[in-house]
Amino acid sequence: MDLTHRFTVPTSVEETWAHFQDIASVAECFPGATVTAVEGDTFQGSCKVKLGPIALVYTGSGTFLEKDEQEHRFVVEAKGKDKRGNGTAGATVTLTMADAAAGGGATDVQVVTDLAITGKPAQFGRGVMQDVSDKLLGQFVSCLETRLAGGAPEPSGESGPTSAPGEQSDAAAPAVDAPPVSVGPAPAAQREAPAAPHTERDDSLDLGATVLPILARTYWKQGVAVLGVLALVIWWLASRD
Amino acid sequence: MIPAQFDYLAPTSVEEALAALAEHGDEAKILAGGQSLLPVLRMRLNAPEFVIDLGRIDALRGVRDDGDAIVIGAMTQHSVVGSDPLVAEHAALISKAVEHLADAQIRHRGTFGGALAHADPAGDLGAPALALGAEFVIAGTGGTRTVPADDFFVDLFETAIGEDEILTEVRIPKHTGWGAHYEKFVRVAHQWPIVAVAATVRVDGGTIAEARIGLTNMGSTPLRARAVEEALAGQPATEDAVRSAAAKAADGANPPSDLNGDADYRRHLATVLTRRAVLAAAGG
Repeated sequence: MDLTHRFTVPTSVEETWAHFQDIASVAECFPGATVTAVEGDTFQGSCKVKLGPIALVYTGSGTFLEKDEQEHRFVVEAKGKDKRGNGTAGATVTLTMADAAAGGGATDVQVVTDLAITGKPAQFGRGVMQDVSDKLLGQFVSCLETRLAGGAPEPSGESGPTSAPGEQSDAAAPAVDAPPVSVGPAPAAQREAPAAPHTERDDSLDLGATVLPILARTYWKQGVAVLGVLALVIWWLASRD
Repeated sequence: MIPAQFDYLAPTSVEEALAALAEHGDEAKILAGGQSLLPVLRMRLNAPEFVIDLGRIDALRGVRDDGDAIVIGAMTQHSVVGSDPLVAEHAALISKAVEHLADAQIRHRGTFGGALAHADPAGDLGAPALALGAEFVIAGTGGTRTVPADDFFVDLFETAIGEDEILTEVRIPKHTGWGAHYEKFVRVAHQWPIVAVAATVRVDGGTIAEARIGLTNMGSTPLRARAVEEALAGQPATEDAVRSAAAKAADGANPPSDLNGDADYRRHLATVLTRRAVLAAAGG
């Protein structure tokens, strides 16, 4: 399914574009994501999805499929597999930047995400996955927004890690509902430590109730049936040693 | 399917349980009655390394009178709550809701605190607890704190209970003499409601003096239908008056759309079920 989000940041298109030359800074914006390795246009990492009592860890990789400097458009594709083999998750994110309609050197950013989740986590019907996707993408987009709004005005690479973007993030605060970047590494610093907004939240994606009621509704009979089995398992575990 | 291997811990006091939780943190899950957690483990949608079973902590069980409130221990089974005379007398809305909660087997296993801490937006206890202004007593290593119902339900499956905390008991202000009804609309008996309405009213000489209405599954948390409560106050307990007030039941709600019904359908259901619930509560 495709989901579209739009927001405006108070920096020029060139500055905004420069901000995202580092793939890790995009990837780290996925809730609960950790980037473990970056090589050229590809990254490896994991994404933890937490949903009430559910906790899934997708590990996988992502890559820049397209980077069009003229059109200021890039496409990132990420694919992951659940650690326990329960399913896969994939996302293709297309991010386009253009001069803001309102002018003033600001930039309109559009993020179109095609998200596909298969396996058990997806066996809950469209309505649920819509909620799940909205939640995931809402966090992803507000993270992007925060990074862009809080970024240093100089192009990436020229500003040292000591520059403090506090004022810029304050100026942008009304348009941003995610926490502003408080650590404030400049883009150059983010190459090494791209998790400034990320570290502020314990944010494995919390899918909340979207899936669980359906899950429980679907499986409560089996749940009851398994109780007996589980009691045996517990007894066995407890009495093993 | 069989759950992934985990270590089973069975503390006998809240302090022990908190210590185990502090030690194992993210790797541990609290097991209350297991009616929601076990299916998740079984499907391996979660694989905690430790399961901390609160079942051996006797202090967490039972219902007691505490002056202007009744106190229900978090590990009290639904079946016990549902048949408790104190609950029936002072918080009839809870008794009525428990009657409709899942099936008899689940009611004998599942616990009052477990269901509330689980915070399923379609769970049957959230709306009554909210309507009655319940207070949640939460223990942590630094002591206990009390959270009002308005602040307890945060989001889908998310409550004010911290990662290192345990819900120990729920205090429910006495609503002695209030009529109560839980109107639940389900597609299949014993399942989660598509929408349900918890209503409790104090009727004085044919007039509704006060009303408290809670909505189940009309958003990501249980909701109070405050517009209806205000519209009902001082009205006669007649069908026309109640119908007119109940029309506001979905005001401000943002119900989900799913395979059982879309948001508009749920909004409509809320008004119909509110009328039925209030009339039944006022009549009984």
